[in-house]
Amino acid sequence: MQLVIGNKNYSSWSMRPWVLAREAGISFDEVQLKFDDDGRPRGIDRYGVAGRVPVLLIDGEPVWDSLAICETLAERFPEKQLWPADPRARQVARSICAEMHSGFQALRGAMPMNIRGRHPGKGMTPESRRDIERVVAIWASCRERFGGGGPLLFGRFGIADAYYAPVVTRFQTYAVALSPAAQAYCDAVLALRAVREWMDAARRESEFVPGDEPYASGHR
Amino acid sequence: MLLVIGNKNYSSWSLRPWIALKMLGVPFDEKRIALRRPETKAEILRYSAAGHVPILRDGDTVVWDSLAILEYLAERHPQLWPADRAQRAKARAISAEMHSGFPHLREHMSMNTRKRYPGQGRTPEVLAEIARIDAIWSEAKGPFLFGNFTAADAMYAPVVLRFRTYEVEVRKKSYRDAMLALPAMREWVEAAEREPESIPELDLYG
Repeated sequence: MQLVIGNKNYSSWSMRPWVLAREAGISFDEVQLKFDDDGRPRGIDRYGVAGRVPVLLIDGEPVWDSLAICETLAERFPEKQLWPADPRARQVARSICAEMHSGFQALRGAMPMNIRGRHPGKGMTPESRRDIERVVAIWASCRERFGGGGPLLFGRFGIADAYYAPVVTRFQTYAVALSPAAQAYCDAVLALRAVREWMDAARRESEFVPGDEPYASGHR
Repeated sequence: MLLVIGNKNYSSWSLRPWIALKMLGVPFDEKRIALRRPETKAEILRYSAAGHVPILRDGDTVVWDSLAILEYLAERHPQLWPADRAQRAKARAISAEMHSGFPHLREHMSMNTRKRYPGQGRTPEVLAEIARIDAIWSEAKGPFLFGNFTAADAMYAPVVLRFRTYEVEVRKKSYRDAMLALPAMREWVEAAEREPESIPELDLYG
């Protein structure tokens, strides 16, 4: 199995299935493509027809889109319990991942993922603030109902945590002030071995993608 | 089982689980909330804190978001995805692609079931997205994308109606025609045409 990803510093969509598989102990070969200045992954045409990362290759057959990849991994590795085993928890997990998949446009636009960047206070608009409040409410509700007293959303690590990991890095980059409970969740995600590994690699990257750097002072 | 939806004329997200339930033959109650009115938000929040339609309530389970609802239904009705697992992965990929993508099409060719806007909205970005959809549909096994009706068809059903409104031609006309001929699709269209509400900012071209 191969996972085709983009820049670790910028590609929030790539981070999700990578962190999921790595943290869950599902082995794969990583193929990294770097974004060109237009934000298109160079060489992607070889791997999939949608023209975007991430792409999972299973026996050479491409499965594209982060959510479809996560569902496919959940189906192929049922013993990993990537979705919660409890049906009610599972439907909430699916709902919040789908909500992240199609929503939070203001947060995405104003606070693009940029792991090595530090832009405290930038990107805070009324719309992005509403998105942040919704994210924090989701975390609180899931941990209260299904967290089992632990720091993660549904007790054990799964797709939902992988799905919200890029937001956690955004809150760090843009120094978003959070309640102690929300900060505790962020700290738990940042402490995951796979998240640390991804972020360490992101900090070592030197490519600069203008479209993801609205707050950079002059290009390097 | 209760499905909370928006206006049938405008709410593309609502059509997806609605048509899936109809095609499965699962009986359900429908609660329609007219969108973009002063009371809309409060009404939706009675069903889900996410604040968007569609929402499915089944006993004490609440599922929101069109794709999450389809996955929920597929757990109980596996025929909603292709039986072959490679095909199923592909069906999930094009469904997820529709779920998070095609922003230009959404903006310039918003779903408006009862209107006809031939030739409108065709920016270069929209045309590129149409070409991508045309390529996906061209691989349809027939009569639907993966032979029988699946969740992938439910995800693309709103696009079928958009292409009808904006009179966008596609190569695989048999797929479009099969979708438009579904009794469930006709029921949705007829209900949309009878809806009294109109939302001026969504009537993009008059």
